[in-house]
Amino acid sequence: MSTLFKLQELIAVTLKVPVAKITSTLRDEDLAAWDSLAQVNLMMALEQTFDIYIEVEEFAGLTSVPAILEFLNARDIG
Amino acid sequence: MARIKAEFDDLLIPANLAELRAELSRWRTPLSLPQVQRLIAHAKILCKEPIALRIGIVHTYTSNLLDPWLDMSAALQGIEVQTYHAPYGTIMQETGPSSGLVAHQPDITLLMLRREDIHPALANSVVGLDREAQTRLRAEALAQLRNFVQRFRAQKVGQLVLTLLPALVERALGQYDAQAELSEAAWWAAFKSDLGHWLRESVASSLFLDLDEVLLQVGRHAFFDRRYWYAAQFPFAPEAAREIARRVTSIGVVLKTPRAKVLVLDADNTLWGGIVGEDGIDGIALGPDYPGVAYRDLQRRILDFQQRGLILALCSKNNSADVDQILQDHPHQILRARHFAARRVNWLPKADNLAALAQELKLGLDSFLFLDDSDHECAAVRHALPQVEVIQTPARPLDVPTCLDQVARLEVLTLTAEDLAKTEMYAQERHRRELCESVGMDNGGVGDYLERLGMKMQVHLNPETHFSRLSQLSQKTNQFNLTTRRYDEQQMKAFIAAGDWLVADFSLADVFGDSGVVGLALLRLRAPREAELDTFLMSCRVIGRHAEAAFLHALLRQLDTQGVVTVVADFIPTAKNALATLFLSDQGFELCADGRYRRDLSANPPKPEAQFPIAVGRGVGPVSTAAVTEKLPQANISNP
Repeated sequence: MSTLFKLQELIAVTLKVPVAKITSTLRDEDLAAWDSLAQVNLMMALEQTFDIYIEVEEFAGLTSVPAILEFLNARDIG
Repeated sequence: MARIKAEFDDLLIPANLAELRAELSRWRTPLSLPQVQRLIAHAKILCKEPIALRIGIVHTYTSNLLDPWLDMSAALQGIEVQTYHAPYGTIMQETGPSSGLVAHQPDITLLMLRREDIHPALANSVVGLDREAQTRLRAEALAQLRNFVQRFRAQKVGQLVLTLLPALVERALGQYDAQAELSEAAWWAAFKSDLGHWLRESVASSLFLDLDEVLLQVGRHAFFDRRYWYAAQFPFAPEAAREIARRVTSIGVVLKTPRAKVLVLDADNTLWGGIVGEDGIDGIALGPDYPGVAYRDLQRRILDFQQRGLILALCSKNNSADVDQILQDHPHQILRARHFAARRVNWLPKADNLAALAQELKLGLDSFLFLDDSDHECAAVRHALPQVEVIQTPARPLDVPTCLDQVARLEVLTLTAEDLAKTEMYAQERHRRELCESVGMDNGGVGDYLERLGMKMQVHLNPETHFSRLSQLSQKTNQFNLTTRRYDEQQMKAFIAAGDWLVADFSLADVFGDSGVVGLALLRLRAPREAELDTFLMSCRVIGRHAEAAFLHALLRQLDTQGVVTVVADFIPTAKNALATLFLSDQGFELCADGRYRRDLSANPPKPEAQFPIAVGRGVGPVSTAAVTEKLPQANISNP
């Protein structure tokens, strides 16, 4: 399973939206369900799924699919 | 990583919720949110008809992030939860009659407050204050909390569950706090004790859910996550969120399911390791060393549940002499014969034995929990008696001592004096049965038996105390209950205050002991000369002793002296109250064309006390204390 696909599924399940809505270029402002609370949920889900620790300073930058992908790739996850 | 994932998939194997809950209570790795969603989906498949539970959350910090955990713990209990989150930080607004909370009609209202919400000084540690200031602060903080609770209690918002967020940091004085003169820990212990006392004595349907206990359980590092706290004002790390949600949901389970009253225990591989019939009294695992110590610890835990008002019964496929020998002689056996209200040790199917126990204890099978290690027995009982909650004793002794800890229905929301004395009362009942058998049931023996019980009834009219017991009777009595209308403490207090109601209860004592408050009647004085029997019920604990008739006629005499001529009553049949079907006609009420029962007290005066084998005394109320009269035995006994 590609990291992108895994990420799309994770975002869809966590935000409770159909996976088709999670495009590879999706940003938080494109999706009503991706609000500030959902962002924290998403950070938890990312940590638990990929077994990583995300610093609080990084939360604010990880608000789009490309940004999260880049973050994961930089840590050799996938 | 792969190994953990495979294990998680194993979690999705159980084919019923009880097994899934048991698996999960032993699950040691934190669950990820996607795993949580998968568990919810799986649990929902296993429950065809979920129970609806409405939760309202009033909070001064972020509560929405609890939702996945609430959804999961609810789904695991066969509950579909609908959660309303009040707008952030609006406590007082939500106490109004037109608030979103009231509109949500919650079964549970969860108050999630920070310490500083009840007093600004609590943003800091209390160690900086002198003793006098500490005492004053405690009173002020309690007053503010009372104010919140009373305002919510004034609205229909269901069970109130009050929480205070623990401190994010260690105590101000660090390790020295434990022996400091003005210790922070001591201050909070005193505060919680004051709060608990006030809630217990003065507020119905309210529970303080002590998050300090959750913190102890999961540890501070697994309780708080400062990143979520600073980024989103959400304090809880996943482990704490899961545990808090589990505890809140268990309160919902207690509210929404029949009350658990009996814990039926298997013996081999449940109370001890091994099989007594094969291994012998010296060969079973029970004692100070593992694995025997695990079974001893479970027995200790079972005694804790007895303290919550649960009665114990034994149901084992064994030669009864083998089990008797362990109960009597095994040096490490903790549960002895006196701890069990009833026993079935034989080779009959367990479902038959459970049904027989229900009959003996006069309790419905839906109040039974059954603990057994065998796959086969568990499955057979689940199949034959779906109303019995079946819990399987874990195969690994290490898991045995805690196997009942997360059973939601074992939580209690109130505890009355009657609850604490239950086993004693069932022992008294056993003595009564033995007396009854020795006297014999023929040739007027029943009257003789009742006479020898030397019963004394204490009737209270418009009582001023023990409302929690009256509420419990109203909420939980199913069998001898004419109308099965449920009232809580507030409603009954309001009836008394209104003046046109008569609230009456009775307690019953005999030579073997005191059964406590066991009957309740609510009468509405409709017109100057007419009264309506809105509620008439009696605990099945005292059935078969003519107490219901003695109580009814005592009330009728009371109404007679107040000038009431007509008493109107109803019998509303339910699945459980067949026992009371003939009561009104047996007591001289006429079934009228409109389907209601009436008795004319002038044409058909109430029976005098002397007609019953029970001496009646009067407790507090508007009526004079008097009347302990001679007793006359009656001829027949109704034994359900």
